[in-house]
This record gives sequence, structure tokens and C-alpha cells, in this order.
Amino acid sequence: MASSRAINVLFLIGLLLVPFLWDSFVAYQLGLFLLYGMVGQGIGLCWGRAGFLPLGQALFFGVGAYVFGSALKLEAGSLFLIAGLLAAILLPALIAFVVGFLVFIRQIGSGPYFSLITLALTMLGFQLANSMDWLTGGFNGMTGIPALPGTDTYETLYYVIWAALVLVSGVLAYVGTAPFGQLLGATAQNEERLQYFGFNTALLKAIAFAISAAVAGLAGALFAPHQGIVTPQSVGFLLSAEIVVWTAVGGRASLMGPVLGAILIGFMASELRDSFQYWEVLIALVFVIVVIRFPGGLWSLVEGLAHRLPSFGAKGARRRDIETDKSRANGPVRLAFEDVELVLGPVRILDKLSFRIETPGVHSIIGPNGAGKTSAFNVLTGRLKPTAGRIEYSGAPVGGLSRHRIARMGIARKLQIPSVFPDLSVDRNVDIALWAGDLTLTKMFTLRPFRWSTPLLNEMYDIFPFLEDGRQPAGSLSLGQRQKLDFAMTCLTQSPLLLLDEPCAGLSSSETGEMIDAIERIVGTTGSTAIIIEHDMQVVERLSNHVLVLNQGALLANGAMEEIRSDPAVQAVYGGGSK
Amino acid sequence: MELVALQGLNFVYISLTLALVALGLAVVFGLLGVMNMAHGEFVMLGAYSVLVVQNAGLPFLAALPLALAVCAAVGWLLEFFVIRHLYRRPFDTLLATWGLAILMREIVEAVFGRDYKSVNQSLPGTVEVLGAVYPAYRVVLMALMVAFFAGLFLWYRRSNTGARIKAMVSNPALATAVGVNTAVLARGAFIFGVCMAGLAGVALAPLVRVEPYMGIDYLLSSFFILVVGGLGSLAGLLVGSTVIGGSDAIVSAITSKTGGYMTVLIISILFLWLRPNGIVSRD
Repeated sequence: MASSRAINVLFLIGLLLVPFLWDSFVAYQLGLFLLYGMVGQGIGLCWGRAGFLPLGQALFFGVGAYVFGSALKLEAGSLFLIAGLLAAILLPALIAFVVGFLVFIRQIGSGPYFSLITLALTMLGFQLANSMDWLTGGFNGMTGIPALPGTDTYETLYYVIWAALVLVSGVLAYVGTAPFGQLLGATAQNEERLQYFGFNTALLKAIAFAISAAVAGLAGALFAPHQGIVTPQSVGFLLSAEIVVWTAVGGRASLMGPVLGAILIGFMASELRDSFQYWEVLIALVFVIVVIRFPGGLWSLVEGLAHRLPSFGAKGARRRDIETDKSRANGPVRLAFEDVELVLGPVRILDKLSFRIETPGVHSIIGPNGAGKTSAFNVLTGRLKPTAGRIEYSGAPVGGLSRHRIARMGIARKLQIPSVFPDLSVDRNVDIALWAGDLTLTKMFTLRPFRWSTPLLNEMYDIFPFLEDGRQPAGSLSLGQRQKLDFAMTCLTQSPLLLLDEPCAGLSSSETGEMIDAIERIVGTTGSTAIIIEHDMQVVERLSNHVLVLNQGALLANGAMEEIRSDPAVQAVYGGGSK
Repeated sequence: MELVALQGLNFVYISLTLALVALGLAVVFGLLGVMNMAHGEFVMLGAYSVLVVQNAGLPFLAALPLALAVCAAVGWLLEFFVIRHLYRRPFDTLLATWGLAILMREIVEAVFGRDYKSVNQSLPGTVEVLGAVYPAYRVVLMALMVAFFAGLFLWYRRSNTGARIKAMVSNPALATAVGVNTAVLARGAFIFGVCMAGLAGVALAPLVRVEPYMGIDYLLSSFFILVVGGLGSLAGLLVGSTVIGGSDAIVSAITSKTGGYMTVLIISILFLWLRPNGIVSRD
């Protein structure tokens, strides 16, 4: 970490020295590539970190260029110019936010829908720029844009561009380190899990996209005085595609990789484009190979070299010294399923399922495979929409709400397959659970939440000591440890209702014992209500006094363990076996 | 009346062709989960086949087998060397095919040049349809396309291969376990999909500018068709093509090409927002 930051700083200082080491014309050329590189840095935030690929970033670049270009041409004083610059940054951000939010809220994951919509937008932008002569100058472009006041385009403007690059790099570095950036990384790894922690991932992604658009708008604004002309090509599809290529080749996951890619390919293109006919073919080939084989890009080579240098000092152990009180007003949980039905295609999964849970403690759901146990959790947490019926939690209807909203009502869920954020450290995984429900949008951009701690966390460390070794990535844990981490994260949200889907699956018998103790202890200290889906009758027997038996999507029996055991209907379904 | 009939015929011709392009993308995306960003480039290859055939002095219809051969060969290469390693990694296929699209464009540009080519439109033979004089080959192509869609619909419902494809889509591991060769099936589906794009490219070539970058428009319009019509049914495909082709044609005629494009884009975003599974959804 420390060494990669040092390289970034060295790289930026190197760029500052270019006008002295070469001449101002090289610096002028370089300025353009730095602007494109900034757009690439924005793409890097979306693609390298949040895992969705915008293919129409030139739209925002071009909008910024046209807006600030018009402001410069009007020559109406510096205040007006500042307003123009703000508009050049905020207008793209607004467009990106609206479009991003509309698409992301319906399409979970990194699916191609978003990429294609952005591609279509840049095509639209190109057509608009071409046809709106009165505003953009049409096909011939907006010409005669004066220099930025106080600068000389071929001399001092380079320093302005350099300063903008430093600003953008600083902001992106900070955003990436702050909780917001960590959550973006988590979104890329397991978006659904993040929603069960109550995070509105569509909003997070739309904000990331808006930030990248703002960066592109700023770069475009400086492009206008740098070139003195803005043509529809600056909004178009070709430029968008090229910047994606530079970002990929330079290294999409790193801060400076996109800039390096833009500089290298930019200079090579201006040397080779005319003399070497197959230059573009070669670049396209390099892009395909990089995408498939070397996702780290060129910058990972730079960092590889740098890691051989002595480190500039390791990061100290993290402190969790801000005690937060996550215990929510814990009245008894009231959960009611009333005639809930779930029909998928020809299959009736839940068939008028009705039950009530109104006492704290551990409740178990048992039933043969296909009884609808996990489906009951799915309709309760918003993964599936009930076809009919009513689900109420603490007096409010739940059915059909989105996952993060239900989670925020105080329902936490642990999925059957342990699902943690594999590329994040154990500490970061724990952070996300601690933040659940309490991290406001503003706090996402401060560093304090990394220091949060709760009494329950200390208890968790006591139960599962491996959690204290927080720096290892969660993906390197064993299956049993991941199961425990996932359980710990679910509990650390301190939601009044915990849904645990087979928490002991895949655990050895001694680990199962540990898990049972842990569940008992946590539910006891927090006073929460837990519903457990479990096949292991010994676990059910030890943990819960209330058992619900599901069969074929409906409630078969409901009561204390002894009653269930003696129920003839249950005996018929289970064939008399104990498991 | 003649003008209306002529416009109507043109509209039917374009919608059918668009449906053919979208069919290819629907097969590749809907069945294999591969958003083939190079799909439009196969339309481009089809269009360039017409150009090659014309330069060689051969009749227009000779472009059909040529386009099929070229697209099948290129499709096989892509599938074998790139795509098959990336199934069930949707994001990686998106990127890889995006790169391949750039590669195909650049190669065609290096061979044929950047400039617009036009394909000779004055093909012999016209027929009179509802008072409008219309090129005979287009009527033939339309009839062929309609017959093709109908045949495909029946085949997919009834044939063994159709059943095997459905098995592969719903559970690849199980399909392999019961003896379906999913690797061959997937390759076949991919090649079929890109060949449809190539055929559509042949049909479109006389109507549009043939240039290396023409593919993107068709990638986007077939994507819009899938968004509106939904994946997984032929009915949705045809409805989608009519909605997209129709609103584009009508709004473009009233306002401008940009207006038409904007309308199509807005309709698509609205559909993503309100009906994410399209008009005719799979389940």
C-alpha cells in the first residue's frame, strides 16, 4: 500500500517535470493524453472497482467540452467562467446519476444492459451534437474557443491540466479508500449479499458512475481551451471505445494505470498511425489479450517492479476505538405470514403458508427437501416476490419491497452457502456488517467508520478468535471459517430478527458444537429473535423450543419439540426417522 | 396509396431484417448468456460479402452463401479461441467480444478502407404489390425470412436438438451428465447466431451505407428489440422488432433521424425500468 502510493506520487512528479526535460510541445501533446487519462481514471473507478463497464464515457467528456467551450466563447468574466466550469462538471454527473440509477435499480449485477445503454447514449450524443448546429456548431464543431484566461495554451495550460490530474487522482484515491470505495468493491464481489446488509447498491453504483462522469466533464472542460475546437467526435463512440482500450491496457484496477495507458498508446499512435497500416489492428489485438489474460494491465508491471524496492513503512495496526451503540430498540419481534403463496412457472412453491412468530429466542424451521423453507426466507427478504398473501413485520407489510429496505427494517439473513466478500479482508467484511443500517451517505465519505466497534464485536472475537487476525482476505479462509464469519457478520448487524439458513452446513461435529454455543450466546446477549433452517435434529433440539414443520409449501405442524415428535402427520412425512 | 404501400413494404422488410439480427443476438445472449458485442460486426461482414460479390461480377444472391461461409468461419474461430473459455463469465465475454468487435472493424478497415461503399441497388426484376413497384429479390427475401421464422419456430419446439438446447440452457451440468454434448451444442448455437447476423447484413446492404463501423447500430437496435420484446420467445422478438423498427421509422419521418433514435432509446430505458423482462417474458 505504502509503496504503491509512493509510486503514484513519483509518477505525478515525473509528469510535472516533462516540460523541463523535453520541450513545451511534448508537454502540449502530453496534456491531451492526460485529459483522456483522467476520463480513463473515472472508467477505472466503475470498471476496476465497482465491476460495471461504461462504454460511452466520451459523452460526458464532450458535454463538459461543449459547455465550458461556450462559457469561454462568451467571455463574460471570471464568475461566469466558474459557473460554466461547475456546469461542465455537474451536468454530466447529473445525467450519469439519473441514467445509472434507472438501469441499476432493475438490473442487478454487472450485466451488459448498463454497458449497452451507455453505448447507445454516446451514439445519441454524437447525433445531437451533429444536428444541433445553433448550439454546437454542428458537423464542423464549435470553433474559435479562446485560451483559458491567464494561461498560454502551448505553455502554461499544461500545468493547469497537471493540477487537475493531481486533484482528480487525489479525490479518486480518497473515494476509493473511504467506506464508499470499500462498499463499491463489495458490490462487485457479491451485490446481493450487500443488499441483505441494507445497502442500496443501485444508489452506490449510480454515485460511482456520476463521479466518473464528473471527472470526464472536468477533463472535457479543459479539452475545449486546449484544442480551441470541439467537434462531435469528442462526444462520440470512437473516442469512448479508445479510452476504454487505454484504460484496460494501462490497468483498470489501479489509479494511475489508465493515465499511463493513455500516454503510451497516445504517443505511439501519433508516431505509428501513419507509417504502420495495421497499427489499429495491433492495438485491438493487444486489448483482447490484456482483457483475457492480464486484467492488471501495464501498471501491474510497474507495481511489480516497485515491490522489489524497500517499503516506505508499513501501516500500523488498526484501532477500533469508536464505540458505537448498534443495539436497536428491541421490542419483541412480530412476524406474520398470512396465506403466502409463491408460484414460479408451473411450480407452486409456497401454498398458503401461514404462521406467526412473536416471542424472542430461537425458532427452527424443518421439513423435507423442497418443502419451501428457503423460499419462505426468500419471500421474506425480498429475493422473491410472493405471488399472493401478506407478510407483516412489526406491523408493516414486507412483501414486494426491495432487499435493502427489508434489511433496514431489521431483518438480517445468512444465506445457505456462506457468502462473504472474498477479496476484502476479514476486517473489511466485519466493517460492512458494523456499518449495516447506520452508515449514512455522508459517513461513507469519511474515514471514521473504519474505527467503529461494538461490545458485540468484542464478544464475537471471544467466540471466534480467528476473526482478530483481520488482515487476511476472507477468500483465503476455510469453509468452516467462512461459515462462521458469515454468521458473525449477520449477527453484528444487530438486527432484531436473524434468519440463519443452515448455519451448521459443512461444519465438523466439533465446529457444529461451537456454532450452537455461539448462536445460543449471541441470541441470549442481544435479545434478538432467530429463525433457523436446519436438517440436523440434534441442533434443532438443543437450540429451540419452538419448531415449525413445513411440507409442500404449507405449515404442517407447529409447536414444542415434543409435540412435533409425537405428531402423526410429521411422523408420516419423515417416515419415523430421526434425520 | 402507392407511397403508403411502398413505405409499408420497406417497413416490413426492415423489421424482418432487424428481427433476423436480433434473433442471432437472442440465441447467443438468451441461450448462451454471451452478450456478443461483436454481433453487429457480423452484419457488417454480411454487407461486405455483397460488396465482394458485386466486385467479382457475380449475382447478388451469391452473397448469401458467401456471407454464411465467412460468418461461420469467423464465428467458429471466435468461439473456439475465445468465447468457449468464458462461458458463464458474462462480464469477461462482454469485454472480450468488445475487443473482438474492434479487431474485426480494424481488419475490415485495413482491407477495404474507411470510406463508405454503396452496393448497386438496380437489381433486375420488379413486382407490383398493392400498386407499388417493388424489387423482386426483396419480396423473395421477405418470403424466405417469414418461412424461415416459421420453420425455426416449429423445429425448436419439436426437434431433438431443440430439446437438447433447452436442457443445456436450464441445467448445463445435468445436460452433460445425461449425455448432451453441450460444448458442440453451444458452438453450434453461437455460429448459428452470428450467421443470422450475416444473412441480415446481406439483406440490408443495398439499403444502407456499407462501412466498417456500421455494425454498432445493429448491435444496439437488436439489443433494444430484446429489451422490449424479452428473451426467449419468437413472438417477443417479432413484437420487439415491430415496436423498435416502427417507432424509429414513424418518429424519424415526423422529426429527424436523431428524434427517432432518441425515442427508441427512451422506450428501451422505460422498458428496462417498468418491464425488465420485456413484453413476452420467458416465465
